Amino acid sequence: MANSLRLYLTCIRNTLDAAMCLQASLEFRTCLAVFLKLQKLLLQSKVQGYSKRTSENFPCQEVERHNKPEVELKTSPELLLNPVLICRNEAEKCLIETSINSIRISLKVQLDGYFIVKQSDELENILAKKFLRFLSMRAESFQVLRRKPVQLNGLPVEAYAGYDISFLITNYHCEDMHKHKLIDFIVQFMEDIDKEISELKLSVNTRGRLVATEFLKQFV
Amino acid sequence: MILLQSPSRFLLQILQDRLLSPEKGIDLDCHSVEFDDVRYHIQFSTRNPQVMVLSVSLPLPPPEAIFFDGLPFGAIDAIKTAYGSVVQILDPPKDGYNLTMKLNLSKLPSVEEQRQALLVKIASVREVVLGAPLRFVLKNLSAKTVAPEMDQLIALVHRPKESFFLVPQPDKVTVVYPMRFQDSTDIVLATSFLQELVEARRTAGLNNAPSCMWSATPPLELKAAPAQALTANAGFVTFVIFPRHVEEKKLDRTVWSLLTFHAYVSYHVKCSEGFMHTRMRRRVDSLIQALDRAKSESEKAKKLVSFKRLSLNETRSNSNS
Repeated sequence: MANSLRLYLTCIRNTLDAAMCLQASLEFRTCLAVFLKLQKLLLQSKVQGYSKRTSENFPCQEVERHNKPEVELKTSPELLLNPVLICRNEAEKCLIETSINSIRISLKVQLDGYFIVKQSDELENILAKKFLRFLSMRAESFQVLRRKPVQLNGLPVEAYAGYDISFLITNYHCEDMHKHKLIDFIVQFMEDIDKEISELKLSVNTRGRLVATEFLKQFV
Repeated sequence: MILLQSPSRFLLQILQDRLLSPEKGIDLDCHSVEFDDVRYHIQFSTRNPQVMVLSVSLPLPPPEAIFFDGLPFGAIDAIKTAYGSVVQILDPPKDGYNLTMKLNLSKLPSVEEQRQALLVKIASVREVVLGAPLRFVLKNLSAKTVAPEMDQLIALVHRPKESFFLVPQPDKVTVVYPMRFQDSTDIVLATSFLQELVEARRTAGLNNAPSCMWSATPPLELKAAPAQALTANAGFVTFVIFPRHVEEKKLDRTVWSLLTFHAYVSYHVKCSEGFMHTRMRRRVDSLIQALDRAKSESEKAKKLVSFKRLSLNETRSNSNS
């Protein structure tokens, strides 16, 4: 179990490295085979001119004096790279969409109503939902967090194709913060979500056991 | 505090304070509300400083659990037995209350221990009044009999418009609680707690505790119950109480535990949610710290420099003026 988490996170880390530092990797030729494959994946069938550099300041092409994160608008296909979907299992996946000046990372961490849910999973579900909503409400202090997770257009919120939490990293964030530290933060965030949900579940079970024992002890 | 306490701290505090200074008569008129909609109204007047007028309002009973004269079955007898000559029940009770009593504090026993015990008993008026029918049935159980008027399915009030059910038999009493909660998170947490209850019974050392079962559908004992009592979003809990649980010394505690079972579970569900919020806030703080580490040094230095400049300017302007 823990093994698959490690692999999943390493894969995401490498993809983010490729997505944010495309320029640098073309020059220095890092030797990770996956890394180069990812570059190919991201660059496939796009106009070569624009896709050499990512995460740099790019004013809006359509409207004068506007500067928008292109990954959110998706109006000009030449500014977008291929989105990459990394799945850990049926329930958990990560979608990374890149554009010339911004990156959007969407995570899905739990089962939803489409699949049959066991009792213990139901507890995990509401704990995950509670925790992620708690984080999303504080998106302002996190800066790179999006207030609402990414939904597929036209489908209702509960549809199985939506995500649970999303990040939006723009070129401004990349200027303020070191890129590798930002990637560290995202990966640590994902580890922390997993850890926190399992710890919350453990605390609920422990408390339940204690409460039950104290109650029954009164009769003995 | 894990277990809910039987004497109301509010009442006990007022009684003890009054007895510390019996001669000084101060007017007192206050209200209090407790969990599950039980209200108290306490009055002291300067004319009779030793007499306390206590009014109690009970939760609204559902249609299947009836009150006789506004009080549960056997409540008047229970009050007279518990308080003796200290109490005088006023009929009719004050407007909006189910029971009004006059307590003569000068008639309290002079022996310190007995006096303290009676004060605690007065503060446990909720257990005495609401728990009267339950006490009656359980007392019969300890004598291994069943009273003729109490041998069918009995519905007793424990929350506003909700009741729990008893099935008295000569050798055991089965108690069934339909558990209802309003919030969806509450329902899931309560269900997990109740299932832990069943698990905990199986561990060693608790073999003497009443056997308990949980089911999502109404158990067989509730066949005769009205339909609206059979919907419960967190399932049904069944306890089987045997005579050994209601011996002399254990009777009061058993009555209180069974009377406030739903309130106990609800209390711990809420505590759990509060604890989860504290944890989540702590986790948010640690994540924000991690994000701050990602900020480049120049950003942080820029902020420090601007503060420095501000303070230097201030001191210069101060020395000039």
